[in-house]
Amino acid sequence: MNAYLRMWKAQSAAELLRTMRNRRFFLLGIVMPVMLYFVFVASVGDNVQVGGIDWKAYYLISMTAFGIIGSSLNSLGPRLAEERSRGWAKWLRTTPLPNSAYLFSKILSQAAIHLGIILLMFAVGILVKHIQMPFHFWLESGLWMLYGMIPFLALGTLLGTFDAPEVVTVLSTVLQMVLALLGGLWTPTEQMPDWMAQISHALPSYRFAEGAWDIMAGRAIPWETPAILLGYAAVFILLAVWRLNRKGTRA
Amino acid sequence: MLPAIDLNGVTKRFGTKTAVRDLTLRVEKGTAMALLGRNGAGKTTTLSMLLGVSAPTEGKLAVLGGKPTDAKVRNRLGAMMQEVSVIERLRVEETIELVRQYYDKPLPLRTLLEWSGLAPHAKLMTQGLSGGQKRRLSFALALAGDPELLFLDEPTVGMDIESRQRFWETIGQLKDRGKTLILTTHHMDEAERIADRVVVIDEGVLKADGTLNEIRRLNRVRTMTFTAGDGITPERLKRLAGVTDLAWEGRRVRLTATDTDRLLRQLIGEGADISDIEISAGGLEQALQTIWSGDRKGETA
Repeated sequence: MNAYLRMWKAQSAAELLRTMRNRRFFLLGIVMPVMLYFVFVASVGDNVQVGGIDWKAYYLISMTAFGIIGSSLNSLGPRLAEERSRGWAKWLRTTPLPNSAYLFSKILSQAAIHLGIILLMFAVGILVKHIQMPFHFWLESGLWMLYGMIPFLALGTLLGTFDAPEVVTVLSTVLQMVLALLGGLWTPTEQMPDWMAQISHALPSYRFAEGAWDIMAGRAIPWETPAILLGYAAVFILLAVWRLNRKGTRA
Repeated sequence: MLPAIDLNGVTKRFGTKTAVRDLTLRVEKGTAMALLGRNGAGKTTTLSMLLGVSAPTEGKLAVLGGKPTDAKVRNRLGAMMQEVSVIERLRVEETIELVRQYYDKPLPLRTLLEWSGLAPHAKLMTQGLSGGQKRRLSFALALAGDPELLFLDEPTVGMDIESRQRFWETIGQLKDRGKTLILTTHHMDEAERIADRVVVIDEGVLKADGTLNEIRRLNRVRTMTFTAGDGITPERLKRLAGVTDLAWEGRRVRLTATDTDRLLRQLIGEGADISDIEISAGGLEQALQTIWSGDRKGETA
């Protein structure tokens, strides 16, 4: 097997294993979104219409987005910061493992975890809440969410460039909550004051969920939605690269 | 044959501070070299440059004939850093197995577990390991690629006596196999045990470079131990020329002096009642103190 592929495969498998053993990931990436989904759907009512679709489908997307954002920020950021502060990242630089294999294995294993979150949440919607949608709606929504997670993975990487893992952990959780609240993942933007809705529309969390809401409602995704997400991803990646170059260290 | 390490006029600056100044050093393959110096002398900075973790500000360096950042070179070296670097949420054996995959010709997992003394702890999660066990894991990871050149930066910090014993036994075996070893330590007994070459740096500058015995001989102070008869008193001994330290245990006297030969001749000449005389040259630690104090007989190679 090619050496790069061998290293990348081993590194990705280890990252996946480490994430699965992380209680914090389970709490913020899976338990909380599922729990909030049941609570909010029960309190509002399954079949209330929001944004052109049933509340139970609308909120399923909201909570899937919430879980993915939480997983991106709370797993990737603190882990990168921790590995740098403990000297692990520095030690890795003495091994043949390339920088790119180190970083991509983290990002791709995180993407695999996110695919799991999407499948789990959709299974909850279909099997427990009996949401009925054409199969291609589910497929397209899932694929959209895999695309839409990119800025959050980039944001997690950016957070990982900060030196104090404890601060990064707190910051990641606070950011997850703020992005969810202002991005309309807990409360639809239709119910927000105008000024707040305007802020919401500018956030990546809103645009992330908006694409999937549009697919579920049978609408076309406006061009600016993927463009805004890509813009955020570019800014976060550039900032992360700039910070890492300044430090002269590995991610 | 290409040397294991070749440093030529290497300088490393951090802002206005010069950590290593114009260091030139060539280490042949199969050498066990101790790089010694006080805290902040530039040892870790030198190792960082040799490991490709940081780049020299000036000068050139080659490791195993290539750049230390080259993957082919990294495949042939191993490093145990000063910081305990272990990732969490993996078992000991999983961590070693992961790192084995970085190398083209890794040592078997079982060998690494045995050499590091971690075989009984293979299933433990790394976050549950004690400080000493984490050091042993770092050692196993440093050996994972069966390195030709092994860097050991303060390797036994936090290890218990048994672990240290096992560690040095393994290092001895690696030395016998012709591996090149570069060690930094503050434990002179460790350096004396393993090194056949000693390099001393201070404030980033090379101060001494030679075999273990050559460096020991830089020590001008000798220790003389003898049993004193009735006529010998501390006051009388303190008045003798060149005595720097004096200790009494019953009638047994231990004194250090810059010229013990002259001192002994003087005592015998005065008819002093002394017996069971022993003179020792002192160890590496005394030699280093001599070097640091600038009180040296001369330069070695």
